[in-house]
Amino acid sequence: MISKRIAAALAGATTVSLLLAACGDNGGGSQSSSSSGDSVKSLTILDYYNNEPDKTLVQKGLDSCASTLGITIKRETVPGETLIQKVLQQASSKTLPDVLMLDNPDVQQIAATGALAPLNDLGLSGDGVIQGMVDATSYQGKLYGLAPVTNTIALFYNKDMLTEAGVQPPKTWDELKAAAKKLTKPGRYGMAFNANATYEGSWQFLPAMWTNGGDETDLNTPQVTEALQLWTDLVQSGSASKSVINWTQGDVNDQFIAGKAAMMVNGPWQIPALNKNPKIKWDVVTFPLNKPDQKPVAPLGGEAWTVPLNKDQAKEQKAADFVKCLNSDENELAWAKARYTIPTKTALLDEYVKEVPSMKAFTEQVKTARSRTGKLGDKWPAAAKVIYQAIQLALTGKASVQDAFKQASGG
Amino acid sequence: MRRTAYTVIGVLILCVMLFPVYWMLNASLQPSGNTLTAGFLPLHPTFSGYKRAFDEQGGNLVTSVIIAVGTVVLSLAIATPCAYALSQFRSRWVSIGLLAILISQMIPGIVIANALYTAYERIGLLNSIPGLIIANCSSGIPFAILILRSFMMSLPPSLVEAARVDGAGLFRAFVAIVLPISKNSLITAGLFSFLFSWSDFLFALTLTTKGGVRPVTLGIYQYLGTQVQNWNAVMATAVLSAIPAIVLLIAAQKYIAAGAIGGAVK
Amino acid sequence: MVTLTRTTVAGRERVRGRRRRGEDLTKILFVLPAAVAMLALFGYPVVKNLLMSLQDYTLRTFFTGEAPWIGLQNYSAVVKDQLFSDAMVNTALFTIGSIAFQFAIGLALALFFRQRFPLGGLLRSLLLLPWLLPLIVSSATWRSILEQDSGILNRSLLGLHVINDPVPWLNSPSVALIAVIGVNIWIGIPFNVTLLYSGLAEIPDELYEAGQLDGATGWRAFRYITWPNLRSVASVVLMLGVVYTIKVLDIILGLTGGGPANATQTLATQSYEKSFVDFKFGQGAALSNILIAISFVFAVFYLRSTRRAVDE
Repeated sequence: MISKRIAAALAGATTVSLLLAACGDNGGGSQSSSSSGDSVKSLTILDYYNNEPDKTLVQKGLDSCASTLGITIKRETVPGETLIQKVLQQASSKTLPDVLMLDNPDVQQIAATGALAPLNDLGLSGDGVIQGMVDATSYQGKLYGLAPVTNTIALFYNKDMLTEAGVQPPKTWDELKAAAKKLTKPGRYGMAFNANATYEGSWQFLPAMWTNGGDETDLNTPQVTEALQLWTDLVQSGSASKSVINWTQGDVNDQFIAGKAAMMVNGPWQIPALNKNPKIKWDVVTFPLNKPDQKPVAPLGGEAWTVPLNKDQAKEQKAADFVKCLNSDENELAWAKARYTIPTKTALLDEYVKEVPSMKAFTEQVKTARSRTGKLGDKWPAAAKVIYQAIQLALTGKASVQDAFKQASGG
Repeated sequence: MRRTAYTVIGVLILCVMLFPVYWMLNASLQPSGNTLTAGFLPLHPTFSGYKRAFDEQGGNLVTSVIIAVGTVVLSLAIATPCAYALSQFRSRWVSIGLLAILISQMIPGIVIANALYTAYERIGLLNSIPGLIIANCSSGIPFAILILRSFMMSLPPSLVEAARVDGAGLFRAFVAIVLPISKNSLITAGLFSFLFSWSDFLFALTLTTKGGVRPVTLGIYQYLGTQVQNWNAVMATAVLSAIPAIVLLIAAQKYIAAGAIGGAVK
Repeated sequence: MVTLTRTTVAGRERVRGRRRRGEDLTKILFVLPAAVAMLALFGYPVVKNLLMSLQDYTLRTFFTGEAPWIGLQNYSAVVKDQLFSDAMVNTALFTIGSIAFQFAIGLALALFFRQRFPLGGLLRSLLLLPWLLPLIVSSATWRSILEQDSGILNRSLLGLHVINDPVPWLNSPSVALIAVIGVNIWIGIPFNVTLLYSGLAEIPDELYEAGQLDGATGWRAFRYITWPNLRSVASVVLMLGVVYTIKVLDIILGLTGGGPANATQTLATQSYEKSFVDFKFGQGAALSNILIAISFVFAVFYLRSTRRAVDE
């Protein structure tokens, strides 16, 4: 029993010191752990590629850049939805990594806090990178991140099901609705998409909204309403499941693989999973248009690599060099091919499609794609929230399509 | 005959309660990891998820067990004397203490985790098993105090008094009398400390920054990417990790049954 | 039983009186480790949460440390939010619905398992299995069970002709809350059974034997023997139930994410959303402090009820 008592006392002592430490100065400058000078030996990295095969594939690219620069890397990976939380913790305790990966729509928000180093000053530029991505990773005229590869969403369809129903891949919304209706039968929906109450729900809505000329700077326009009408029509006609308001993009893909959906909106990251099911014969087309004179506009996905401000100048420079290396032509192509993503440098696109023909539709889509934060910057999340709320209101019948956006924005 | 009927009813109740667990098992045996096209029985089971889980999560499982057991020991060691004091001693501080404990249970976990991260960063407890044990005690200790106190309130005080009339000090009486009688409630409190720690995800995520120390709840996320989820492996990991834990719980159960609780009271 | 308790309390007072001085130190040592641990683990977070709710605490604050004081503006902002009253009602329904059923079913099962029968102990242990599954897994499983078209629940109910049309468990704003409460009840039952069972096990058999002589069996035995002796355990189970239920987050996020159309938003999910979706950390903290205040009221009730139990 004595020993138990000692254990308790010891535990008490530890926690006291814990308390003292926790009450200690919070904002003070805890030094970033390194020696200054030009002999930077290692860099710390934080990203969210925590699952296989991405984890290993990304590691390969990181390793090759590390050996090019003659350094070692210490990498931490966290689950995607917890990345921002982790970044905030590390920011408040001044332990941010030397190289930080961020989802592209988050870059401007984080840059706005003053946490990131402008990359132009460190010898990087966005020359040759598709404009949408440069928009996403710039803030107030300065570049804060570079994304080696990008992705977007388009319309997948099940070839066998379309052939069987005698349906061509839809090019317009009317064709889409007609095809979806025709492809629907007991146990199967014509169309599947994600309209859940997260940013993912907004992201999946953007191809329709943007292609139709809708704009996030003013959501109360006919163009936006028409896009919402398309989603609502698909669900209310029974061509898409009422469950779309709860589905993630992963769920949508599961439905497609299970043969319970003939078409779906999704991204190229699903291709490995689709290829694992050889019974499913699929293809991809760009998102249909409302009117024939429109061109498809989809949102740009993908993650950018940034350099948090560092007191150690040499380290900051090395980190920037590292980001530059990750965005070299070779690495862009290597990652794009291995991970079914698309290089961000326009000059590489043709070569890429030649080597990976299955990515043709997505590459087309990327050329005209926009970034979510291009127009609104760090105000985008607020608009995205209004979008997914409005979709939920309309699809559940809590508001009419006409009123949904007004109601969602609190008007 | 009547007893067998009870067993049958018990099994039926369990079947209803554990159906979701069975459904997870079913999903873990489907190649897709979901039950979209599955029947009631997994007629064409695949064990690929289990193979992955077995290969990749073994170490994490050991980490989870060590942390959970550590949390139980530390929580009970700190909470039990306190619970006894709060149940037997009369003071207005008792109410204030209880109120404080209850309030502490309302603090969002993330706020505690953030505070601990800052503290751990300075004293070097990040990425350590003791660090996670202490963090998990933030749910274990208050819970154990409240539960043990409520049980100890109904202890017949005559037992302790008898010992103390014989000259035993407060502490000796506590060790020799109170602890053995309270075995049942100690195990109950320990059980939940174990479960709280076992299911912790937030502290594991916040207080580790590299792969070394990684409980299963966090390890499972290596199958849950931002865009692609391998539910087959996720479900298999959940099934596999539940097995050692349930064995441990059943063992604790047997221990209660075998304990001489009634004997001490008589 | 009541008289028995009263005399022994008096007896204890006598003994304590005699020894009071020498044992003050021991008493302090009993409480000290726990007091220190609680202070270390919670002191800073409580204060931090309180201060945060009075500040304009944003994303920027994490990087610069700057958070201007804005008094009670965060509180007025969250209370005026169009979702606040809905979230409040949902929180109340969620908490009351969950606790009532968890406790009632838990007590019934605990009484059932008190009957000694073969495999009883094993079955009772297995009841805890749901608690061993990571919440992300159990909520994913429940989502698949409750799925409107392919979920096994609707498939079975349709097959048994209990319903004619699939129930939109998670898809309809008017049903989703019920479904979420149902899942939370499922998760809470093992907690209630285990604690109440332990409470029942503490009641000496002699009391029932004595009661039997007085004709107290069945319902009367429950009313006059079981319930009074279970009260301190039952009240702590209820109290903890309220505290844990009112802040439930992961289950709701995992099942519906607060949707469809905000039908399952509670104060806890709102607090999370304010902090980690909108990055208005001050408002998030204000909401969680409102939750704390609500629990505080329950805690005071709990303490009064247990004090009465002791005094009896």
